[in-house]
Amino acid sequence: MAGDWQPDFEQLIDEHQSMVFSLALRMTGDYGLAEEIAQDVFLELNRHLRNIESPLHALLWLRRVTMSRSADALRRRRVRGIDQWVEIDETHGAQAEERSSPLADRVERLLATVPEPQRAALILRYQEDLTPEEIAATLGAPLATVKSHLQRGLKLLRAKAAIHLKEYVRGA
Amino acid sequence: MCVEPESPEPVGDFADFERELQTALARRPAPPHLKRKIVGRLSQHAGRSHRMIWMERLAASLLLAAVAGGAAFWRHQEEQRRGEEAKQQVMTALRIANHALEQMNAQLAEHNRDAQ
Repeated sequence: MAGDWQPDFEQLIDEHQSMVFSLALRMTGDYGLAEEIAQDVFLELNRHLRNIESPLHALLWLRRVTMSRSADALRRRRVRGIDQWVEIDETHGAQAEERSSPLADRVERLLATVPEPQRAALILRYQEDLTPEEIAATLGAPLATVKSHLQRGLKLLRAKAAIHLKEYVRGA
Repeated sequence: MCVEPESPEPVGDFADFERELQTALARRPAPPHLKRKIVGRLSQHAGRSHRMIWMERLAASLLLAAVAGGAAFWRHQEEQRRGEEAKQQVMTALRIANHALEQMNAQLAEHNRDAQ
């Protein structure tokens, strides 16, 4: 049942553009590609608008489709043979000036070097504040896999931070 | 991929690493004009679809006109053929009747000659 809720496409863009863009940016590490993905995701939403039943449904749909389209974009890049990790590091560097916290910038840049499945889980956990169950539902992955990705990703990120962000560690 | 060697558990500011990560991964503002670009692409798509609909209608009308014209032409040809066929049949019947009458006339003439 669609209920009484009538989706307003432009309002949905206003509400969710930041989330969609941030997810795509942190997944791909490419500002231009992330913007392109965000546009495509919203155009796809417009095509499926009649199937969207509630504001929550719209939010979950956008999250799921953004993650999926970002993974597709990364896969296409790999097929074309582009070295995504180098590019991610460079493009994140280019955008770093826009941010207010240098530590946040560097943590974000380190995140770009974490393997894709772990990065996806970490982004959904710490950007979207999702539980492992919600992440599993969003990514269509088993809960145990998501928990493992979270643990390993966090451990790897901590290790990298301890090496690369020494100056921010008290007493270092 | 090269995984860097793990270091001991971080200390100091990184004791609350997850909180720091949450702060670092706050949502970023979308690029300016993202909405305008999406709406622009949407109207471009809509315009294209509108044009496509008109092109399809035009193509369908032309096809319909061609089919109707073809059908009318075929019917006309068919009527003409049937008319011609009927005309030929009438002509054949007339020829046969004429032939029969001529035969009968010849027989009557012969009979009259014999009687005289």
